[in-house]
Amino acid sequence: MSTEETTATDARKPKPGTALGLLALGIAAATLSVWVLLIRRVAIPENRGIFLFLCGLTAALAVGAFVRRTRWYGGIAAVLALAGSALFSFTVAISGQEVAPNSIQVGETIPQFTALIEDGDTFDSTSLRGQLVLLKFFRAHW
Amino acid sequence: MRRWEELRSEFEGRGIQVVTVSTDLPEEIRDQRQHHGLQAIMLSDRDLAVTDAFGLRNQGAHSGPPSGAEALPVPTTLLIDRDGKVLWLEHSENYQKRSGPEFVLAAIETHLN
Repeated sequence: MSTEETTATDARKPKPGTALGLLALGIAAATLSVWVLLIRRVAIPENRGIFLFLCGLTAALAVGAFVRRTRWYGGIAAVLALAGSALFSFTVAISGQEVAPNSIQVGETIPQFTALIEDGDTFDSTSLRGQLVLLKFFRAHW
Repeated sequence: MRRWEELRSEFEGRGIQVVTVSTDLPEEIRDQRQHHGLQAIMLSDRDLAVTDAFGLRNQGAHSGPPSGAEALPVPTTLLIDRDGKVLWLEHSENYQKRSGPEFVLAAIETHLN
């Protein structure tokens, strides 16, 4: 069998991995979209297990795509899905909330500070003395 | 923020001044106040000077939305007495469940009585 014939046979062979690759990319894209949407609402879910599960599923499908053989576009989709799920898992794993070791503690006196208020004037924390204060640090006002 | 507004009378009744700090710009805060009708003192801390004075800059990696600030505070609620001493504080580990007003009110009840 000549090389040309082999290639021709290959091209006609069904490549079931293609669908897997595309499916993997689809799941990866959907997972990332939901995550970004939640983040934009500043509502990162407490239980991230489902996201990591979907990433694992994506990776498995992508690998499966190569095992079952895939057309070129299925291969690209599978590689993108793999890269996306790896990056996502990494981001989810490292994201967290952590204050500095010298952060303020119960019993300490708050530092004096100034900050801008909405009309552009400066607010001075000394004006709070003699008052009970509930001080809230937000990621954003909204 | 709206849920906090609903409890405003509770805070006012106890003589508690509510002060909020975020990295939003003054004009963004103004828009929000117009939108929500909030009464708290709302401070703009774009350069994180106040956040850093309290040591509340998030040191952990965060996958938050892009904002104009170089970092964000760890969401934190502090109850401060008349001498400026911290009576109670809580860092929110969870973005979504930022300490709810009811929870804070309960803490206030505990610490002011």
